[in-house]
Amino acid sequence: MAPTETKRNQLLIRLRSLYESLGYTRFTMRRFEEYGLYLENKSFLKSENVLTFTNPDGKLMALKPDVTLSIVKHARKEREGIERVYYQESVYSYSAVNREVTEVEQMGIEAMGDTDAYVVSEVVRLAVESLKLIGLPYVLDISHMGFTTALLSSAGLTPAQQEQALSLIRRKNAHELEAYLREQQIAPDYAARILQMTTLAGPFADVFPDAQALSVDDQTAEALQELKALYDMLDAAGAAEALRLDLSMLNELDYYNGIVLQGYVQGAPRAVLSGGRYDPLMRRFQKQADGIGFALYLDELNRILSDRRALDADVLVLYRDGDDLTILHQAVFDLAAQGLRVITRKGDPPEELHVGRTLRLESGKLREVDR
Amino acid sequence: MMFTIALPKGRLADKVCRLFAKSHYDTTDIQPDDRRLVIPGENGHVRYLLVKPSDVAIYVERGAADVGIVGKDTLLEGENDVYELMDLGFGKCRMCVAAPVDFREDLTAPLRVATKYPNIAKAYYAAKSREIDIIKLNGSIELAPILGLSDVIVDLVETGTTLKQNHLEVIETVLQISARLIANKASMKFKDTEIQRLTNTLRQEGETL
Repeated sequence: MAPTETKRNQLLIRLRSLYESLGYTRFTMRRFEEYGLYLENKSFLKSENVLTFTNPDGKLMALKPDVTLSIVKHARKEREGIERVYYQESVYSYSAVNREVTEVEQMGIEAMGDTDAYVVSEVVRLAVESLKLIGLPYVLDISHMGFTTALLSSAGLTPAQQEQALSLIRRKNAHELEAYLREQQIAPDYAARILQMTTLAGPFADVFPDAQALSVDDQTAEALQELKALYDMLDAAGAAEALRLDLSMLNELDYYNGIVLQGYVQGAPRAVLSGGRYDPLMRRFQKQADGIGFALYLDELNRILSDRRALDADVLVLYRDGDDLTILHQAVFDLAAQGLRVITRKGDPPEELHVGRTLRLESGKLREVDR
Repeated sequence: MMFTIALPKGRLADKVCRLFAKSHYDTTDIQPDDRRLVIPGENGHVRYLLVKPSDVAIYVERGAADVGIVGKDTLLEGENDVYELMDLGFGKCRMCVAAPVDFREDLTAPLRVATKYPNIAKAYYAAKSREIDIIKLNGSIELAPILGLSDVIVDLVETGTTLKQNHLEVIETVLQISARLIANKASMKFKDTEIQRLTNTLRQEGETL
């Protein structure tokens, strides 16, 4: 690969070829959708501030704030087989704090259809490989929404109480959760288990036994078994090193049901990868198929992958009036053909340029110049 | 790896400094009125930031600090995406609705609410389905109902002295406030051990405070 590519573009190219090597095809879409799509699925979106405009027919349209909804909407209905797609698209939102419209690039994959345990492992493995490609220390948190809902339901929490409990678990807010469960008169045995969800986190193999101790019925046991089987599969492939189990990591109940994942790399303050299994979302669009996928937040990566300290060019070629321009022309294109970034300057080398080597055309030959 | 702790200036500073001084963290030389912005500690393994209380959660959310101490009031108002690990149990006060002593609510008009905490006030009245008109002020909130700028105020009440002196009284309690330990989400994965050590120390010291 030519060194002219910025680190970020190199990463995007590698990610795309990773996804393509496993049969994912590029999904492209329009920049806008009907606003109704987002209005009906507001809680699926990361931000509620959707940008809207009216088209000439008077229909309210929105610049897309999210890609998964559009893909799910356009996915085929049947369950047989697997439809594998990846995307690299801009998404738009309005930041109330900055009073500014923002455009960020999102990349991700979705697998829809008969998503069996193999397909789940494929998607989670791709998440691991995607994080690995970033080239920094990383972790991938996994959890299971089925475990959470089963535990909360069998503890007797109503859907409204579950929402409240989930929002506290997500923030690892044990002190308020404890008070809340006491207030709602949840049996102490169950309350203790739910409380542990806020703290149970760590390398998968280390904390899994603790999670098993929280199991209350067949449903919770089944969810844990699914996590364990997934871990074992990745472990056997040598790809489970960075897998962490974090029971406090939860997505929206209305959309997600199975495995959920979130990836972090050192240096980025927020998750750079997020996803999970979203069968309920598929049902909302009357699809028989199940679905699982993840998105990478490229805006979080931009800063840590910036090439700020990189060189302006690999080679600076200096020449003077009266030099043989034919030789210069040939020399410059020869260097470029070697994959180097070349810039030319007439006269003296400029102070502000940072280059790897400086060459000067002297009696028909390029010679190294000390700077 | 450097471990960064954001501490609030102002109301909580005194207690926070005392808590850290009592714990095994070497913060004996931090004074609540310290003019330094970054204070090194523990042979350069830890550093402390002394920042405006309302900024603590932003430093932590954006990863400039790994953990921070902040009042529940600013935490709720900022709606920052952080872990809330502990109720430290000090800096206790109440977020209240207060009104002039002879106040009678006019239910036919939106309630005019003066406050430093528009998000908390909005959420509180939305839950009661009461239409309100928020007047965002940055200080001397008690002045608003006196001048007829607002009907009521939503503000922190510690002792109630300021209210009394201005002929105001608490009519409802919105929620109980205290200092919380918060953590950045990514730090929780990569600096697990340091955060664990800090929470254990604070838990022990907190009990004796």
